[in-house]
Amino acid sequence: MTSPTPLVLDRVSKRFAGHTAVDQLSLSVPTGVVYGLLGPNGAGKTTTIRMIMDILQPDDGTVRLFGQPSGGRAHAERIGYLPEERGLYRKMRVLDVLVFLGEMKGMDRRQARDRAGEWLERLGLAQWAPRPIDELSKGMQQKVQFISTILHNPDLVVLDEPFSGLDPVNTQAMKDIVLDLHRRGKTILFSTHIMEQAEKLCDQLCIIAHGRKLVDGPLGEIKRTHGGHHLVIGFDGNAGGSARVFADKTLVNKVDNYGQYAELELAPGADAQRILSELVASGARLSRFELQEASLHKIFIDLVGPDARNAEGREPHA
Amino acid sequence: MRKIWAVVRREFVERVRRRWFWIMALVGPLFFGAVFVLPSVLARGGGVRQIVVVDGTAGPLGRRITDSLNATRAFDAVLVRAGGQVLDSLTTEVEEKRLSGFLILTDATVDSGKAEYRGSNVSGLATVGTLRHVVGDAVSTARLERAGVDPRIVAEARVPLHLATHPIARGGATAQTGEQSFSLAYFMGIILYTAILLYGINVMSSVLEEKTTRIVEVLVSSVRPFELMVGKVVGVGAVSILQFLIWGVGGRLLLARHASPLAGSDAANGEEIFQVPHVSGGTLAIFMAYFLGGFFLYSAMFAAVGAISSTEQEARQAQQPVAWLLVLSFVSMFALLNDPNSTLAITLSLVPLSAPIAMPVRWAAGNIPGYEIALSLAILVVSIVGVTWIAARIYRVGILMTGKRPNLRELVRWVRA
Repeated sequence: MTSPTPLVLDRVSKRFAGHTAVDQLSLSVPTGVVYGLLGPNGAGKTTTIRMIMDILQPDDGTVRLFGQPSGGRAHAERIGYLPEERGLYRKMRVLDVLVFLGEMKGMDRRQARDRAGEWLERLGLAQWAPRPIDELSKGMQQKVQFISTILHNPDLVVLDEPFSGLDPVNTQAMKDIVLDLHRRGKTILFSTHIMEQAEKLCDQLCIIAHGRKLVDGPLGEIKRTHGGHHLVIGFDGNAGGSARVFADKTLVNKVDNYGQYAELELAPGADAQRILSELVASGARLSRFELQEASLHKIFIDLVGPDARNAEGREPHA
Repeated sequence: MRKIWAVVRREFVERVRRRWFWIMALVGPLFFGAVFVLPSVLARGGGVRQIVVVDGTAGPLGRRITDSLNATRAFDAVLVRAGGQVLDSLTTEVEEKRLSGFLILTDATVDSGKAEYRGSNVSGLATVGTLRHVVGDAVSTARLERAGVDPRIVAEARVPLHLATHPIARGGATAQTGEQSFSLAYFMGIILYTAILLYGINVMSSVLEEKTTRIVEVLVSSVRPFELMVGKVVGVGAVSILQFLIWGVGGRLLLARHASPLAGSDAANGEEIFQVPHVSGGTLAIFMAYFLGGFFLYSAMFAAVGAISSTEQEARQAQQPVAWLLVLSFVSMFALLNDPNSTLAITLSLVPLSAPIAMPVRWAAGNIPGYEIALSLAILVVSIVGVTWIAARIYRVGILMTGKRPNLRELVRWVRA
């Protein structure tokens, strides 16, 4: 290992009056990885991130950043943070806001000023630099906030629901920035409850619900172990005796049969080739036979399941 | 440390850049000037009064009173002989506002000291006072003459009395007059009250802005909440000092320009309640020390109020208990002015919540032993540390909280946590 792991949580817990927001959560974010923290609303994602950022203190467990047992404040100059709820000083000028937030991250004024100028140029906001924030459109304000997050060229970027409330153009811009940071070897931790984004962006992830970890690890591995095997079958007019084949519990766990089209989940240890031969033997004519990986969305629903509906309760107030 | 400095500078620069600051810089001295001068202008009443002296006496009393009234320059008096429909027509004149009023003199005036004034406004203290004074003088002169005293001796005996009151302070009589002490104390009380309230609320809205825009989350991930709060208070404090400098310089220039007409009116009206005081270096030092002390004490409380509120409206409500503490100290100022060395006055100038207003007021009004000031300052400083500590603990939890405002029990839990 050339550099210590940017972020390790070791059995971290946080309780608020009456309920446990985060419960014995452990995870490890290696260098250069895009790491997704996934969970339904109220799962404890924001509380976890706030503990990482030193905004809240864990009741139990430790947060280790860059190998040291300390929260984000001690490493402010190496961490960029975009909170879920965003806002800027409305009356302040764009450039002044960026310089001030850069100073908060330990930059000196001149450096912050130069770097902010470059970023504003790059995102097409250069002419807005001397204008007050409240003259900017919402989308432009969001861009300014992205800039403030990464202005000091942090090694670890923590984004809480980075895509929430963004229009498609800014969503794309945000993705580009994340991918660009990733290419430059930065480590990115982001939370989301939108699985499609996580599936496209994450190398590794952790799914939590009710403050507890359900699964973590590299995306591919999670898909292999938790996804099961899915089979998509299309019939060419004649489904033959397929219904009998689908009813075989040694082969098929679950079926979603539309008549001319069916989605199967294979029983554990079942061989897809046997289903194929049995279907052909039953007289069915097939137009499509495809083994599929489960989507992250499906894995998430399966894991979180009924919890997802129950977890819609209140987000901890702090 | 560099980050606190950045917080301080942001507060300072952003505020000084606002139009509001410069409006205050301009309007402030005018406002305080008005507060300062207005009472005496109002007490003096507006301009020259047109009156008629209705003379029903046999002697020269009416003529003398008319001349004396005209000599005050506050009245434009005309002498009329009594009789016929005079009173009725004068009453009509007063009703139609062509006349302020009329004075009725009869022979009984000299005998029993009875005279009558009828006018549209009989509550103007200065008017009535001058009338009483002039008529009284004329009557006693007339009676002395009737007793055979030489009018010249009477005139010689009438030396106008000027009672000069000088407070004994700092080991000796000062050149300052009692009126000046009073107006200085009054003036300092008003400025202290206004400025502490104004800048305390500034701190509160600054906290509230960061909370409602959620910037505070980014900030406290880089600086400790305590540092953020202290930086804010110091930054706003620096703004207030700059504001005072501008006011001080502006006020000096303004007073220098108006010094002569004020002095002139003093001579004309005899006594003046409000006079331009001489402000010594010691007074300035006391003023600044207690202003800063009061500002730090109250703005820490205002910061906590901002932190527990989620909207401007909520904050306006929640700040009331804090503002009332200040109002109470301000109101007690009038009791202090009456007797700056009463037990109440001494207590108020030692209690840290009222000391920032009470002590400078007492200082300006009279003699205060040095140890009392030292003790009061020491108590104030200790209280600032204590209150800031408590406020910081409320602030730390409050700035991240949304939703319902905490009740008192929750606040106590935050402080203890």
